[in-house]
Amino acid sequence: MIEIKLVVNDKPYTLEVEPSERLIDALRNRLGLLGTKEGCGEGECGACTVIMDGKTVNSCLVLAAQANGSVITSIEGVGNRRSPHPVQKAFVEVGAVQCGFCTPGMVLSAKNLLDKNSKPSNEEIGIAMSGNLCRCTGYDKILRAVKIAAEEGKE
Amino acid sequence: MKKRGIGLGCSWYGTGYGNGFPDVSSAFVEIHDDGSATVLTGAVDVGQGSNSIFAQIAAEELGLESKDICVYSGDTDATPDSGTTAATRQTYNTGNAVLKAVRQAKSSLLDYAAHEFSCPTSEGIELKEGYIGVKGDPSRCMPLADMVFQARLKGERFISAESSTARSTPVDPETGQGAPYWPYAFGCQMAEVEVNTETGMVRVLKVVAVHDVGKALNPTQVEGQIAGGVTQGIGFALLEELELKEGKINNPALSSYLIPTALDVPSIEALFVEDAECTGPFGAKGLGEPAMLPTVAAIINAIDDAVGVRITSLPATPEKILQGLAEKKEG
Repeated sequence: MIEIKLVVNDKPYTLEVEPSERLIDALRNRLGLLGTKEGCGEGECGACTVIMDGKTVNSCLVLAAQANGSVITSIEGVGNRRSPHPVQKAFVEVGAVQCGFCTPGMVLSAKNLLDKNSKPSNEEIGIAMSGNLCRCTGYDKILRAVKIAAEEGKE
Repeated sequence: MKKRGIGLGCSWYGTGYGNGFPDVSSAFVEIHDDGSATVLTGAVDVGQGSNSIFAQIAAEELGLESKDICVYSGDTDATPDSGTTAATRQTYNTGNAVLKAVRQAKSSLLDYAAHEFSCPTSEGIELKEGYIGVKGDPSRCMPLADMVFQARLKGERFISAESSTARSTPVDPETGQGAPYWPYAFGCQMAEVEVNTETGMVRVLKVVAVHDVGKALNPTQVEGQIAGGVTQGIGFALLEELELKEGKINNPALSSYLIPTALDVPSIEALFVEDAECTGPFGAKGLGEPAMLPTVAAIINAIDDAVGVRITSLPATPEKILQGLAEKKEG
């Protein structure tokens, strides 16, 4: 076992993890943060996206030990029912969620884009969201929601 | 060189299991003494929004708001079977079952209320905005919750169980005659594409999709289903191919079996024609699968319009388009 220290959603944790343990397993099984979803488990679908030190990563491709010393934001740290993040609010408003499995990853990719670029172009939004696959929505309403969240952030 | 073209695709599609297969949905309904109602149905909401649709249907019939309806679905311990979430059938079929069940529970409530209001017939009772009363007489009206509460004290409950079976007869194998499906869904889409004649790459620039939905019970969901269908259609037309070798899938990963990403989708304009389906709940019929059908034809026709290459096998990969262009050059 390896001891790691990391900050998840503004809370510091010290965890004992297996050498082969993935970050998604540490988040879901050790911290009970079940909002991070495992889709393909091989870094293709983006469902398990979290923000690690200001970058979006597929948490299925990061070993927990590699996250030692890092600052992580998972979907639980973005907002909640009472005070949703502007991205979450826009997703609900336009109906950008269907089955919901890709949604946590989508929200984190959008949040990270807007954190860095408050006025993204349509192309920049498309590129930022292209690592997150969705089979239900056709992306149409998701892209619209990100645009609305960006507009609201500007005001 | 990049060349643009426009194509049209049309579709009709029989919804439901069809061909005489028993297509049955069921629902249990109870109207409660807090002015709410519960709907239990086996229909599984996989994200298309059937739970919202059932809440809307029940609310409309009971003069309540959707938030007053609690839908329990897809629990084999507690809910009655409503078949699969497939065949574009839940809004139509289970929607009909929910509506029938709500009407049955409502009918016993109206009978009870007619008696309480000394109204000669339940025809004279209406449910509106959470109230129940005699039509045209505001003095004889009370909150629905109060009426159901009083009824409970007298041992009356408003509970129902109903099922709905879609109309379908098998096709006669000798004559090909029969009425296998009801209702049919109709759609029409236009696609504009840009074909790169150097690389064979196709970019879909715009899709306009028009679908006959009977009645759009939830327009946001209709738009969502159309956009989802169009995008799957784009994958079907340009990207997706299951490669089999000796019965094994050669490309069982999202890096080798490509589906559209946010960068592959064009602007999608969803429009709907509301031609009420008289056998559907409030005139509605299904849209799920039909939304992707015309996309493929529209894109393939647009490629033909752009570069004069007729694609006859899917997906229309850059290799096939380049081969078509080469054959055209050779004449």
